[in-house]
Amino acid sequence: MAYEVHAELVANVLHVLVEAGDTVAEGDTLVLLESMKMEIPVPAEVSGTVAEVAVNEGDVVTEGDLIAQITET
Amino acid sequence: MTTTENAPALAPTAPPAQARPPKLPRDIDPRNPNKRLEAFFDEGTVELISADDDSGMLAAVGCVDGVHTVAFCSDATIMGGAMGHEGCKVVVRAYERALADEVPIVGLWHSGGARLAEGVLSLHAVGLIFNIMTQASGKVPQISVVLGPAAGGAAYGPALTDVVILGPEGRIFVTGPDVVRSVTGEDVDMLRLGGPEPHGRRSGVVHVLADSEAQAIGEARRLVALLGDQGNLDESAIADVDLSEQMPESKKRAYDVHPFVATLLDEGSMLELHQRWAPNIVTALGRFGRRTVGVIANNPLRLGGCLDSPSAEKAARFVRMCDAYGVPLLVVVDVPGYLPGVGQEWDGVVRRGAKLLHAFSEAQVPRVTLVTRKAYGGAYIAMNARSLGATRVFAWPGAEVAVMGAVAAIRILHRRNIAAVAADLRPIVEAELAAEHERIAGGVDRAIEIGVVDEVVEPSRTRSALATALAAADKGARGHHGNIPL
Repeated sequence: MAYEVHAELVANVLHVLVEAGDTVAEGDTLVLLESMKMEIPVPAEVSGTVAEVAVNEGDVVTEGDLIAQITET
Repeated sequence: MTTTENAPALAPTAPPAQARPPKLPRDIDPRNPNKRLEAFFDEGTVELISADDDSGMLAAVGCVDGVHTVAFCSDATIMGGAMGHEGCKVVVRAYERALADEVPIVGLWHSGGARLAEGVLSLHAVGLIFNIMTQASGKVPQISVVLGPAAGGAAYGPALTDVVILGPEGRIFVTGPDVVRSVTGEDVDMLRLGGPEPHGRRSGVVHVLADSEAQAIGEARRLVALLGDQGNLDESAIADVDLSEQMPESKKRAYDVHPFVATLLDEGSMLELHQRWAPNIVTALGRFGRRTVGVIANNPLRLGGCLDSPSAEKAARFVRMCDAYGVPLLVVVDVPGYLPGVGQEWDGVVRRGAKLLHAFSEAQVPRVTLVTRKAYGGAYIAMNARSLGATRVFAWPGAEVAVMGAVAAIRILHRRNIAAVAADLRPIVEAELAAEHERIAGGVDRAIEIGVVDEVVEPSRTRSALATALAAADKGARGHHGNIPL
């Protein structure tokens, strides 16, 4: 089952650190957001393979937006 | 109450079980409450305080790391641990014993809920358990270990206690999968309904997740030792380390605060509650100079460390638990503010955030605050500010204590002036205004001047400074209130 990672707050997408097909472990940073004067990493909450990255650098995401999908291994 | 897939004996047609199941199977059954109680207590210290019969509950006294403790355990070998009035009486008497002896009480749960065959009598009896749990709240530490299904009444029992530990087979829900399916049509299994994932991450029902039954029982033992034998602060046992090594150099960079908390506490003593739920704040028990303390720390790795509805609620409940049992608090502050957003406001961030203000303001235990990097706005107040009655407030050099970041502040205060400046000059003007603003309104110097920060402390002297502040505070102070599951 694909695990969806959603934005938890309104933010700018500063860096996208993974792409579809990458293998990630729980806790790895997928995307770096910028909000509240802070650089905020979005971690993978499960280990698996990145199925989709739904944001690009420079995007503005709002609470609940899909950031990435991970296929659990 | 409810039935579960694992408790077919609860069906109304099932005859009330009177006879014992065959001896041998029960002896080797891992659900045997005698075995579970033996695993929980120090070897050779278990003394049963209820009859070993078919009531469905078994209670005992014994020692946990030498701490006198009361425990009771569902007998899941009989009707899936269903609770009848006799079994409920066992629990109530166990509570009476814990209250009389003023010692911690631990429940090992594995129960499909109330015994249907007994009808309202069993509901009444389960309600009596809820009542005495509430009477005991804040008086003696209560810990629940859920080792199998805990449904209906058996779900609310643990929920009323101070800490809930979930074993890998633990499932907590009010209505089981069958009822959910028949009423709402949702096809869901017990794992997704009430297993480690939903309760560890989403609901906040469970404080500690364990990978095995042995680990679950082990964590309960650690908690009993931490709350039941809190020890005395030994300042000579506090070695200073440079805590700034646990932080990134850039002030904008997020970081995981867990290593910081682990280093602040005595080595290997950290026991985190609600690790995965509301992870933007960390609540942990541990030892500090051999004394039990509670630590509350913003975690910039998650949501930038912002406070929000669930994190304020999580911290508030933790503060009230520590206060009720006389556990001093260390509050580590690095907070950019409250999380803005429609979702937060509709989620009741005002009401739920108020719980944290209330919890700190009423707390009688010594509570020392350390601002490491920044404390902005309403979140500054909520993190045990001077105004809420902090015992002592420390800040690291360069920490910012302000209504908001300087640049954001001057953009509001000097909106018209900045708009009048040519666009290419704006960054320069903003930087000048921000520097001036920090001099007069923010910055740690100003905070010291008006008395909201007591002392600037170097990261390499922080442990001893916190220890001195705690040692100088009233050691016996504790709040006199229950610990409602906020």
